[in-house]
Amino acid sequence: MELSKRSLVIFCLGWLASLVLTSCIAGYYYMESQNLTELLEKYGSCIMRVNICIDYKEWNSTVVWYNDTIVPLGCDLLQATKMVATVNSTYWPTIGASFVDAINGVWKTSLYYWMWRYWDQNENEWKYGPVGADCYKLTNGEIVMWRYEIPSYP
Amino acid sequence: MHCKHVALLTVMTSLCVGIQLTPRPPNVEFTSIICFLVGFLFGSPFGAFLGALTMFINGFLSPWGFAGIIMPFQMLGMALMGLVGGVYRKCLGGTPSTSKILNLEISFLAAFLTLIYDIITNVGYAMLFNVNIIFALIAGTWFTIVHVVSNTVLFVAAFFGLVRIVSNLLGENVWSYQKGA
Repeated sequence: MELSKRSLVIFCLGWLASLVLTSCIAGYYYMESQNLTELLEKYGSCIMRVNICIDYKEWNSTVVWYNDTIVPLGCDLLQATKMVATVNSTYWPTIGASFVDAINGVWKTSLYYWMWRYWDQNENEWKYGPVGADCYKLTNGEIVMWRYEIPSYP
Repeated sequence: MHCKHVALLTVMTSLCVGIQLTPRPPNVEFTSIICFLVGFLFGSPFGAFLGALTMFINGFLSPWGFAGIIMPFQMLGMALMGLVGGVYRKCLGGTPSTSKILNLEISFLAAFLTLIYDIITNVGYAMLFNVNIIFALIAGTWFTIVHVVSNTVLFVAAFFGLVRIVSNLLGENVWSYQKGA
């Protein structure tokens, strides 16, 4: 198939248009990343990063990590989890804490519950959370895990 | 201008303005294809005049508000659509290529002209409001993409069909009609 000079010129114009559009898209995302970086720098003293793991192994054999999740300083575990997942919880006034009923639509049963653990840096092991998730204040760089499991306290 | 042409211009302008004022997704428009088609069938000056006139009227009646000082840039951009329609018709001559090549050509041309229209209006905005031109172009990227994609699809899907329909209505051979206009 032989292309005429006219066709070639028009195809070049089309190619030029796609090049300009691609550059605009690249520029748009570059600007967005610059804006977000600026915003992070501006609020750097009011935020912290935590690593949250949601372990559905007992449900569908998957584990999802939300590393470097940016949360406000002084944020509790329940708030942080709500930033990365859909959480259903119930507040129990008698114990002054919330109990997580479901994460991302995976509900507790009479056997399986959503339990949370934190990574103990000194002993290099996962430990059960000592309080309700809404009573536990996270610290910068902390690693926490939600696990769908049959509770097995030591 | 012959009275037949004045009547035609009036009808086409009313059609364009009517469609412009119809509720539609932002940056999805049918004025470009009509101006290009009119330029293609009745010559560059006619198409350019239709484009400019449509955007002039649209500038006052647009549901988005009075176009104000952006209007001359919109008129220029749309006039270019009509102008290139006529030029393209002249370039095609009496022996057009196969329809596949023509469809490809029209899609590339639609994308290019729509982009030029958006660049003209964005540059106008940047100049008048003292905004960096590159910033204005980048800020409107997604609107430009919607405009370019919708116009490309519209031209490929409808342009040659409309050419056939209009030429059948006029009872003229499409490739020779411009000479008689």
